Amino acid sequence: MVNKRKASQITREGMVTDEAFQPLLQETYKGKKLTDQINTAEDKWNLLPAFLKVKGLVKQHLDSFNYFVDTDLKKIIKANELVLSDVDPEFYLKYLDIRVGHKSSNVQSNKPVPKEVNLVPHHCRLRDLTYSAPIYVDVEYTRGRKIIVHRDLEIGRMPIMLRSNKCLLDGIDDKQMASYDECPLDPGGYFIVNGTEKVILVQEQLSKNRIIVEADEKKNIVQASVTSSTHERKSKTYVITKNEKIYLKHNSISEDIPIVIILKAAGIISDLEILQLVCGDDSNYQDLFAINFEEAAKLEIFTQQQALHYVGKRVKTIRRAGAPKLSQLQEGIEAIATTIIAHITVADLQFREKALYIAMMTRRVLMTMHNPKMVDDRDYVGNKRLELAGQLMSLLFEDLFKKFNSDFKANIDKILKKPSRVSEFDALLSINIHSNNITMGMNRAISTGNWSLKRFKMERAGVTHVLSRLSYISALGMMTRISSQFEKSRKVSGPRALQPSQFGMLCTSDTPEGEACGLVKNLALMTHITTDDEEDPIRKLCFVLGCEDILEVDSATLHSKGNFGIYLNGTLIGTTRFPAKFVSDFRNLRRTGKVSAFISIYTNTHQAAVHIATDGGRICRPLIIVDKDNKSKVKAKHLAKLMQGNWAFDDFLQHGLVEYLDVNEENDSLIAIYEKDLIDPSKTNITHLEIEPFTVLGAVAGLIPYPHHNQSPRNTYQCAMGKQAIGAIAYNQFRRIDTLLYLMVYPQQPMVKTKTIELIDYDKLPAGQNATVAVMSYSGYDIEDALVLNKASIDRGFGRCQVLRKNTVTLKRYPNHSKDVLSGIRVDDNDHPIPPHASLGIDGLGEVGTKLVNGQVYVNKSVPVNAGESVLNKTEPNQSTESMRETPAYYKGAEPAYVDQVMMSVSDNDQALIKVLLRQTRRPELGDKFSSRHGQKGVCGIIVQQEDLPFNDDGISPDIIMNPHGFPSRMTVGKMIELISGKAGVLNGSLEYGTCFGGSDLEEMSEVLVKNGFNYSGKDMLYSGITGECLQAYIFFGPIYYQKLKHMVLDKMHARARGPRAVLTRQPTEGRSRDGGLRLGEMERDCVIAYGASQLLLERLMISSDAFEVDICNKCGLMGYNTWCTTCNSSENVIKMTIPYAAKLLFQELISMNIAPRLKLGDVF
Amino acid sequence: MEIDSDNGAAITIRDADKDHVDLVLKNVDLSVANSIRRTMLAEVPTLAIDLVEIDVNTSVLADEFISHRLGLIPLDSTDIDELSYSRDCTCDQYCDKCSVKYELMVKCNSDSTSNVYARDLSKFNNNKILGDPIIKDKDGHGPLICKLRKHQELRITCIAKKGIAKEHAKWSPCAAIGFEYDPWNKLKHTDYWYEVDADKEWPKSANCDWEEPPDPELPFDYESKPNNFYFDIETSGSLTPDNVFMKAIEALQLKVAGIAVELNKEGVEGNDASNGGFTTYGKTPGNQSPVGDSYGSGSFGASSWS
Repeated sequence: MVNKRKASQITREGMVTDEAFQPLLQETYKGKKLTDQINTAEDKWNLLPAFLKVKGLVKQHLDSFNYFVDTDLKKIIKANELVLSDVDPEFYLKYLDIRVGHKSSNVQSNKPVPKEVNLVPHHCRLRDLTYSAPIYVDVEYTRGRKIIVHRDLEIGRMPIMLRSNKCLLDGIDDKQMASYDECPLDPGGYFIVNGTEKVILVQEQLSKNRIIVEADEKKNIVQASVTSSTHERKSKTYVITKNEKIYLKHNSISEDIPIVIILKAAGIISDLEILQLVCGDDSNYQDLFAINFEEAAKLEIFTQQQALHYVGKRVKTIRRAGAPKLSQLQEGIEAIATTIIAHITVADLQFREKALYIAMMTRRVLMTMHNPKMVDDRDYVGNKRLELAGQLMSLLFEDLFKKFNSDFKANIDKILKKPSRVSEFDALLSINIHSNNITMGMNRAISTGNWSLKRFKMERAGVTHVLSRLSYISALGMMTRISSQFEKSRKVSGPRALQPSQFGMLCTSDTPEGEACGLVKNLALMTHITTDDEEDPIRKLCFVLGCEDILEVDSATLHSKGNFGIYLNGTLIGTTRFPAKFVSDFRNLRRTGKVSAFISIYTNTHQAAVHIATDGGRICRPLIIVDKDNKSKVKAKHLAKLMQGNWAFDDFLQHGLVEYLDVNEENDSLIAIYEKDLIDPSKTNITHLEIEPFTVLGAVAGLIPYPHHNQSPRNTYQCAMGKQAIGAIAYNQFRRIDTLLYLMVYPQQPMVKTKTIELIDYDKLPAGQNATVAVMSYSGYDIEDALVLNKASIDRGFGRCQVLRKNTVTLKRYPNHSKDVLSGIRVDDNDHPIPPHASLGIDGLGEVGTKLVNGQVYVNKSVPVNAGESVLNKTEPNQSTESMRETPAYYKGAEPAYVDQVMMSVSDNDQALIKVLLRQTRRPELGDKFSSRHGQKGVCGIIVQQEDLPFNDDGISPDIIMNPHGFPSRMTVGKMIELISGKAGVLNGSLEYGTCFGGSDLEEMSEVLVKNGFNYSGKDMLYSGITGECLQAYIFFGPIYYQKLKHMVLDKMHARARGPRAVLTRQPTEGRSRDGGLRLGEMERDCVIAYGASQLLLERLMISSDAFEVDICNKCGLMGYNTWCTTCNSSENVIKMTIPYAAKLLFQELISMNIAPRLKLGDVF
Repeated sequence: MEIDSDNGAAITIRDADKDHVDLVLKNVDLSVANSIRRTMLAEVPTLAIDLVEIDVNTSVLADEFISHRLGLIPLDSTDIDELSYSRDCTCDQYCDKCSVKYELMVKCNSDSTSNVYARDLSKFNNNKILGDPIIKDKDGHGPLICKLRKHQELRITCIAKKGIAKEHAKWSPCAAIGFEYDPWNKLKHTDYWYEVDADKEWPKSANCDWEEPPDPELPFDYESKPNNFYFDIETSGSLTPDNVFMKAIEALQLKVAGIAVELNKEGVEGNDASNGGFTTYGKTPGNQSPVGDSYGSGSFGASSWS
């Protein structure tokens, strides 16, 4: 027992000294002494923090954006570099270069480029501005006879992704971060547009420029399709079977073309060669394909000319007016060259490459016809590409830039058309007019999330989302989120199912429940998304490595046995007869750093193909390379270098110890999970070793202790709830003015941590508290997952939180030079401010720290009465107070709030912007929602005095009592282990680990318990607080990390007796926010009817709702008024009666449609 | 130390220091022992800051946050009897008779952050010890209230009042009260949970040395009652543990006395069932036998409650 007390003291002291450098001073760092022996099996996880140090959690967004501003922009400029005039053939304007955020003069070789952004990001947040940097271009253009080069012309402003290389926050230390009011733990990767933080979610798509073979077995259709995507257009080409015959289908060709004709049109004239290219010497394929020749022969198409005519005749021509009309042959050539399989470019009418591609597609169809198992899986992660912020921005920018250029061109044409000009025309003068278009276009797209591109006929809504700042985890979770292009409403299980190929790439637990289940995914902890790499050097490299150029390969040998095709990004570029050597040579080059690490290469033996991928959007992850004799290449000495800080993650890459594998290449490897698996003599061909198995989970699922002991849906539930937990949000949380901010007063880091928690710094910005939990039944107020809370714990600050709400007021200016003003306080006779103005200062703004009760004013704004009047007929020039109308912003809410911050600034359009932050501090009450980290949520059912609660012989009483019925059906064994590890940690004075597939060992934890005088099972003998008698049963008792969720009773409770009514129907309004009534719905009505309580029904549905007295004329049956029937012009038969106002409204609406509803009245009894 | 009488309650103090006492209470009923425990936890009056008037708070913490922290600071309550409850006091809001006033005026002028401790609370009327913040650390700081950066300032007036922990835990003099009886489980009040062998799996309580181990030969005595209660009282410092114990007994006596007085009061309508007073079954009509007629005189709901 002495031990116990000592232990608790240690922890208490530990809490007082909370300096950040504390862990460094300790003898052990991350559970390891400096002098400890390094064990590769255990310490290889250190590669993970090293990875996150270079990559960070949102590196995919940053990489993508950096690639966009540094590389992609230049490509776009290059593709659209010339602006010519239709009027003046002499005129041209050429874009030479483009830069974001800095001028050309500022580039010096040895100095970092200064970043030219408008403001510090946090000021943009506060002032509702856009965090952006100017886009500069260098242009060369003609002025008269001269050619002028102009540098650093601003054509617009680009929103800047936070922490990207154009951002102010890139590469600065924590101290500077603090000086910018920025949280060093904030991941970045989002934009600030008009003051709101916007994330461009990662979009998941089927890969482009790749052949996908699908089969519909019912309809007996096999189709190979390829989506070609180029800068100009996006189109889809199909090779499809119809009645066993194969056709080519394309949107711009009106009818399906027999495949042989297309191949002939593409220059493969000989039937023999077609057969060789498509079927090789496989007689099965030849038999299946033979029928297609008959079709071409029947149509009497034998030559390329005939074939091109055939194709040209069927092309749907959409030509711009003015373009010359083409002949059928030309149409055919045009179609083959540019429309079909558009991503393969044709130079000098050399169609062979394209012909081979079509032949390849046909062969894949044949293979699938022969063996239906050869279809591709659309849901396979290797067939997916992730589209990131950079790609989406580049699509948008190119669209806007083209629009900008065409506007500019139209403008100069207009000017140049004029025969006589006073001065020499300078094109630059008119270019600036349109610069707002690019800025506004980018801002609008990001702030609304509508991506509409005319070029691709793309109309996507909901691309961007407001970054959720409910908790640190919710923001982090949002940055790793991936949304799918599939419709949510469709009931398909395929795309929603967990794919085995997701392993290590996408989190297996973190997906929402309900309609988006399985469609919204999250990245796993150690993933990287590739950006585009240059294709050409790789093509050259392939030829150097012994690949035979496809244009030189004899058609007869193409599909001969043992000959492997080499495909670069899905296009056949050559063949090799030694695929194994080719692949291993290529990999060696990649491992030595001669080729980009993110290029993947793998063999597909079914297709006799070697695929090389350089395109962007592939998910990949690092793995340790295992050499030929089954030894991990990462040795103790390497890890020692890493831990001493001499090596970074990139050194492991460069030394060929670690490499990135994408999903496809992963399929070509044998990956051992643990180092001990390498020793297994039965496995000789292991190629890679996992760095850490817990990286199958993402950042959000990584919070769960012992998740491998839980039922899997529970982990998924926790992933959803972890995002709702109240805690610390960021280091700058008190400087933020967000619409709604929930903060916990005393957040604690969990007793049972995981390695992921440390990696994502959840221990520095936690959201929850370690509650001592007794798993027992108490008081009956704990049924259905309700929790019993200790009042003394609440008094001492358990579950206490602050709610901060922003209120914005703008002071507008009106066209007639009048403007909104702040009026001061109104005072009563004794010079005291009137009660509604009690918390105002003399400036008419709420004073910081004052209390606001319902109805009190915090901004006393007045608007001019004559705001709509024009300037011209204004009679009185000066604004007198009589012409102002008070429109104060007053506080609404049952509980009082306090003024936390008042901010006054000027927004974009010179209007004063006032933000008032109101604060409430809330202690837990009945009905507040709590949850552990195991998907076990519950509301507070009762709050009990401490003396009534059970206690153990040390006098410890629980903070929370949880009902044991929560366990059997939920099977959250992880929660029980968390309790035992947590209890051992408390007694030991240590923080324990519950890392997935690892963590503190249960047996060791039990030993600690026994050593400290407790039972190994975690059960304690408790005494009843009410009688003092000891409880018959032993109680599972110890600390569990509990999160307070944002759903609080105070925000939800609602009742109404009388209140506002809707104008049209005179029925009570709906919803809590409008103080609405509680609806007696259809089903409730049915109950009342069934019960026969007709008077109750009458009261509920009419008297308490919209009873209305009408005058009914019993003669004509229509409604009159004031005891007068206007139809009969008499008051003889007018009777007063009460009907619902809605019924009266219906009658009148019917009358307005020339339907006369007549009421016939009679006596009831 | 042993206070022993012939057959009444007895206390053995096993260990004691400034803020903790370990004692054995003998010859009382379980209900009495537990009542003392409960009273110590919840009904011993102490002093704690209850009202906070904030003039300036430019620290990072919100007003309510600091107020809450101030409330939890233990204050010396040895002479708490001198003070009356605010609600019983004749004064309007608070006065010297029912409250202790403090001032907290700190401003950070240094470049490094400075800490505000409980010792920075300056008490008005400094000649009494009542209400001194409890300071136990060797540096003499007391609990940390807040940290201030350069130019941040706190100007706060605090009013401490007398109260009990039933209202708010800040008035509790106790940190934890260890309580145990029957360490050998001779009374079989509990069932030992075990997988194989309860004796091996359950560690023995330290209090086992103070009682005879059970004789396995003896038959179970179902009539026996717990007699020895092992208390381990730890206080927050506002009162010494002996004081807590004494005051708890005092508070308990007062409560019991209150009940006794109420029960024996003359004139109060029927304390006596035979006179038509209240029984468990409601009010009995006068002069009638309470048995048999206790549900009223026949008709439904006829028992008059007024």
